[in-house]
Amino acid sequence: MRRFLPTSLIARIALLVAAALFVAQAINFGLLLHERQRARFALVIAPATTRLADAAERLLVLQRETPRQPGAAKNRFLSDPRTHVRLHTDNPFVGETDRRRPDVERDLRRGLEDAGLHAGTIMAALRPVNPKRLLDPKLDPLRAERLRRMGAEMLVAVELPGKGWLTLATPWPRTEFDLIWQLAAQTLILYVVVLVPVLLVGGRIARPLRTLTDAARTFRPGDDTAPIRERGPSDVRALIAAYNALGRRVTSMLDEKDRMLGAIGHDLRTPLQALRVRIESVEDEDDRARMADTIDEMSRTLDDILSLARLGRPSEPNTDVDLGALVDAVVEDFRDLDHDVTFEEPERLKMRLRPTLMRRAVRNLIENAVKYGGGAEVRLIPEAERVTIEVCDRGPGIPMEKLEAVFNPFTRLEQSRNRDTGGIGLGLALARAIVNDAGGTIALANREGGGLTATITLPR
Amino acid sequence: MSEVPHLLLVDDERSIREPLAQYLTKQGFRVTQAGDAESARARLNAYAIDLVVLDIMMPGEDGLSLCRHIRETSETPVILLTARSEETDRIVGLEMGADDYVVKPFSPRELSARIKVVLRRWSAGGAKQHAPETGSFAFAGWVLRTGERTLVDREGVSVPLSTGEYNLLHALVTRPRQVLTRDQLLDLTQGREAAAFDRAIDNQVSRLRKKIEPDAKNPSIIKTVWGGGYTLAAEVTRL
Repeated sequence: MRRFLPTSLIARIALLVAAALFVAQAINFGLLLHERQRARFALVIAPATTRLADAAERLLVLQRETPRQPGAAKNRFLSDPRTHVRLHTDNPFVGETDRRRPDVERDLRRGLEDAGLHAGTIMAALRPVNPKRLLDPKLDPLRAERLRRMGAEMLVAVELPGKGWLTLATPWPRTEFDLIWQLAAQTLILYVVVLVPVLLVGGRIARPLRTLTDAARTFRPGDDTAPIRERGPSDVRALIAAYNALGRRVTSMLDEKDRMLGAIGHDLRTPLQALRVRIESVEDEDDRARMADTIDEMSRTLDDILSLARLGRPSEPNTDVDLGALVDAVVEDFRDLDHDVTFEEPERLKMRLRPTLMRRAVRNLIENAVKYGGGAEVRLIPEAERVTIEVCDRGPGIPMEKLEAVFNPFTRLEQSRNRDTGGIGLGLALARAIVNDAGGTIALANREGGGLTATITLPR
Repeated sequence: MSEVPHLLLVDDERSIREPLAQYLTKQGFRVTQAGDAESARARLNAYAIDLVVLDIMMPGEDGLSLCRHIRETSETPVILLTARSEETDRIVGLEMGADDYVVKPFSPRELSARIKVVLRRWSAGGAKQHAPETGSFAFAGWVLRTGERTLVDREGVSVPLSTGEYNLLHALVTRPRQVLTRDQLLDLTQGREAAAFDRAIDNQVSRLRKKIEPDAKNPSIIKTVWGGGYTLAAEVTRL
């Protein structure tokens, strides 16, 4: 049920207003109906009961005057032109039972009893006027006019116990239909008059909100997009202004971070370079090589830290790249260093990404595989919607519970992947950040038969 | 150029400049030092400098601006010292006419080797042959961009190359229609990067052909010269 409810602000307001209007109209309708019923009682039922009571009284009088000739009383009663009340021995309206109206019957009984007439069965039926009947020349024109206007006829049969049935047909106002149509039209007008402005105003509020949502969703600090124009009602405008200010604050904080990282990088790189120059005077060849390696590793870590920290605002633009050739180039670099890395270069696979960064991500994965597994099998699997790069090794793998944790910067697995063989665990964090930036995902899984598979999935 | 090449080493960091000058002196160069752009200009005017080693990141006037100045006023070759992460600096530097660059932290040996290569090229080619190896080269529908170290095809899709492939292609493209022996190629490609590179040139060539030749079995761009080596048969245009 819940999911059928509209979720947007404007739809909810409109629905609420519509529901409120409907309830108000329903109450109006109830009150109106009650009023109509009272009016009907006064206009139709009261005269009808009066006539019936009057007729019953006359019949009683006539019977008293001619006690021994029952037929004579009836004839005299019927020949009286003052009334439309008829006398029957049996109920003539049995065929109309479908159209009986118990509420009208109740009203009639109440009216008759008020007039002192205790009737037996009372039957009242409503029958729409047949238009053909109105054309009948025998019909009194005044009555025809009334029937036409009222639209319906009430047929009443009242049993006088032991004397037969008194019947009466009288025009009946067909108000219910009119009332419903009237009310429906009224409601419609009300809806148009109220809901159209509500929707218009809602749209005016919702549009800037939507723009704001889009802007927030695509927000990239430092990409120099113009601030959003402040429009709409004042509170929405205040929200947009606050958002713009937030964006500026985030951008300036990141700028600050970049500047600081640049300074750190420079300040650390300089002593590293000084050290690198000075070790040339170390006599022992082995010692010197080891020192150089250490310095290189520190420098790489420094680069990783700087890249990771800067990744939110990559300076490299997206370009069209052959991803197959990209992976192949990385693999080839490892092969040139005599590492056992296999890769079957696939067909040309054009992708739009930041090549240097993606190269870095793939390189970090292969580097891990080579470091811990002694080699890597690399596969590139193009599919319709995505591209998967798999880097598999036959190393010790990673305990299940640590598979996610290794992506966090500076996470190291003390047992199997220790300081001797491992860096400081920035490689995976950087790879994940790069791949996420490209809209993809990266995951690790232990392989059957030992080893690890790192998978990069990129949308095409 | 005198017997001993005279280098001007410009770096604001004494901790790097002094030991580096010492090292280069030991390697047989005459080294003059400068701590900022201003004193570098003074030294350039005062001495016959054969080559400038220039740090890009300097307070005050930076290396790029000094590099531009040197290029405007003289033919002296320049080697830039850059940080790895400042790729744009490197590209701008090469566009500004620097002859080569080394990435910090570099090994002094590598720098020394690069200096020798640039000087050799310089004395061989004479003046007016600046930065013959930098910029963009178009050949047979491909563009090799040395600044970004990328190869771009007709449709603008870049085809990444491994370090070895790039070095080999760079060597060939900058010497079109010259026959380069395997030894020459090894020498040319190893000089550029510290990365170990000892796989057979033939292997690299066949990989490169797979990437750039329309028909790798019947190569039309990189041709084998019987008994000699390889040559780039395509027309090369500098962009």
